Amino acid sequence: MKKSILFLAAMLVFGFAMSQNAKLPENISIKTLDGKTVETSIIKNDGHPIIISFWATWCKPCNRELNAIKEVYEEWQEETGVKLVAISIDDSRSASKVKPHVDGNGWEYEVYLDQNQDFKRAMNVVNVPHTFLIDGEGNIVWQHTSYVDGSEEELFELVKKLANGEKIN
Amino acid sequence: MKSIRAKIIVFAAVTVAMQCVTSTVAKAQGILGGHVTGNVQFDGQLSKRDTIIGSSDVPEKLLTNARADILYTNGNFSAGLRYEAYLGPMLGFNSQYTGQGIANYFVSYKTQTFAVTAGHFYEQFGSGMTMRAYEDRYLGLDNALRGINVTYRPWKGVTLKGLVGQQRYFWDTKGLVRGMDAEVSFNDIITAWNESKTRFTLGGSFVSKYEEDETILADISGFKLNLPKNVAASSVRMDLNRGGFGLQAEYAFKSQDPSIVNDYIYKNGNALWLSASYSQKGLSANIQAKRVDNMGFKSVRSISGEMLYINYTPSITKQHTYAFLSMYPYATQSTGEMGLQADFMYKFKKESLLGGKYGTDIHINASLITGLDTTVLGGKGTEGYSSSFFGTGETYYGDISLEIAKKLSSKVKLTATYGYVVFNPVVEGHAGDIHHNHVAIADLTWKINRKNVLRFEAEWMGSDSHYDPIVDDKRAGDWIMGLVEYNFTSAWFVSLSDQYAYKDGVGNYYNLSVGYTKGATRLQVGYGKQREGIICIGGVCRNVPASNGLTFSLTTSF
Repeated sequence: MKKSILFLAAMLVFGFAMSQNAKLPENISIKTLDGKTVETSIIKNDGHPIIISFWATWCKPCNRELNAIKEVYEEWQEETGVKLVAISIDDSRSASKVKPHVDGNGWEYEVYLDQNQDFKRAMNVVNVPHTFLIDGEGNIVWQHTSYVDGSEEELFELVKKLANGEKIN
Repeated sequence: MKSIRAKIIVFAAVTVAMQCVTSTVAKAQGILGGHVTGNVQFDGQLSKRDTIIGSSDVPEKLLTNARADILYTNGNFSAGLRYEAYLGPMLGFNSQYTGQGIANYFVSYKTQTFAVTAGHFYEQFGSGMTMRAYEDRYLGLDNALRGINVTYRPWKGVTLKGLVGQQRYFWDTKGLVRGMDAEVSFNDIITAWNESKTRFTLGGSFVSKYEEDETILADISGFKLNLPKNVAASSVRMDLNRGGFGLQAEYAFKSQDPSIVNDYIYKNGNALWLSASYSQKGLSANIQAKRVDNMGFKSVRSISGEMLYINYTPSITKQHTYAFLSMYPYATQSTGEMGLQADFMYKFKKESLLGGKYGTDIHINASLITGLDTTVLGGKGTEGYSSSFFGTGETYYGDISLEIAKKLSSKVKLTATYGYVVFNPVVEGHAGDIHHNHVAIADLTWKINRKNVLRFEAEWMGSDSHYDPIVDDKRAGDWIMGLVEYNFTSAWFVSLSDQYAYKDGVGNYYNLSVGYTKGATRLQVGYGKQREGIICIGGVCRNVPASNGLTFSLTTSF
């Protein structure tokens, strides 16, 4: 009982404290598609915006999202300098299929494996797809869960705002 | 008392959710120079008894699972805690979860070369065949270790890990697990190979568990078994890549480990897993092979069930997400199995003969899993059985699926799938005839305009199985299914679906769901009968338990 009240109080304090953007964590281990362990500090884009998309090979909405962005990715990059980093949460059942899956779909994204789901936990991802928008300074400025056909256009509106130095909220 | 607690939890979850919904964008909260982030999940069901789908009467009427993860990060330092409340646990969850409290807490310090975590942690060595502590919140599975986990990188390309801890068992911790792992990336440590197109990584692990002695009697003699107090498992693995080619392999070995999983036999365990793939833009092929022999590795030898596993032997069959293709999912038989899997993807280019105006994607996957070819040598306290390495036993599971995805116009996309599934009920622990199922699926998305999207799904399954009240497998028979989903912007969705056994089966699963998503907050309310399994509607995929009645789910990240 006491515990519950403390917990509730703590939540309220956290909830009403000053809001501020969290930074993209830099020290979480992830793997490249050729099996090398790297840290999340590798996710960089020279001061341009970054889209981070958590996905899995078996997740249909994730695949629809990444395939839809593929069609317009070149235009997005030219217009805003944005980079998409796709984080696969596939476990060892399907992790070895990630590289074939990425190539087979013709995706030109930077892709990493988060098999132990350390990055997923650090970013508080519950369901996939879960998409984050990171500004040029590495601040997490926006996040969204789920994908519906066409919602990539809403995402690009935000990317354009970021690239123009506007605030997102 | 219980109901007051429940109300407080409900109130806490709703409060946090409201804060996130009302603020236009969920942001982290700044505290003492660091950041507090987290996520909250609240699931509930008002379930009615239904013998047809297997949901039972619930004395407390409302079942709820709630959890909140709170994470504090400040530079290299982070700390977290998770509060969980199962009042009472939802259907499909073990009743031993009943209760509430802080289920997980840790402090952690990480730099580029050194990391230490004290408290609860999740870890995996290689593909997990010797060690994998993980959780799946929707399956009610959490075998987190509580102890100390250290990672050290003495040189670039070399990663050493060490851990010691006890495993989570519902609201308790049990067993004692020690482990270490080393991984070397040769391209990093050999200067001449730095720029090589060939990438090569080697790894190895050693894991040991300790348990006190107990009295288990042998079958025939009635003598007490001389149980090993320490049991070790070890593995070697490699990862080789060059351009589009990839080859991965892992071999694991386990010492004598008589337990409830293998019925207290003294045979050593081993497992081999191989994966080879080739891919280029628009084309990929992958083949996997696996042999598992007596690899069930638990931290407590005498407790059955899905908890307390130290290792994980991945299933190599494809993870299907369409309802009828995933109706009979295959789970690895850690006592022994052989498996082969092949996967092929190809993209017919735009403007080609088969590609048409927008291109066509095809995806073929096939797998076959059998038992081992074994000779019985004895019961409890003996070697148990012998097995030949290449011999195969009875068929456990087989499937082949062909998926064709095609954009019919700028607004309409169709995915057509045919699948054939062979399923032996023995993998779920009961005897019976092998089922053969044909499945056909059409999945059509119609993007009316930027704000309105309709999705239709039609599925059919023809099976040679018949419903038998004694076996009570509610998946038997021939089924049809229809689903309509309407999405209004990325915020709202409504979906209506029905699964109906039209021949040789029982059951009619109708479901209406409404969902609202804003940023990282998502609220979904459903009414109807739900089969357990992976459900992908409204743009996300998640595992759901069987239910009959009203269900609601709220998740948010901040």
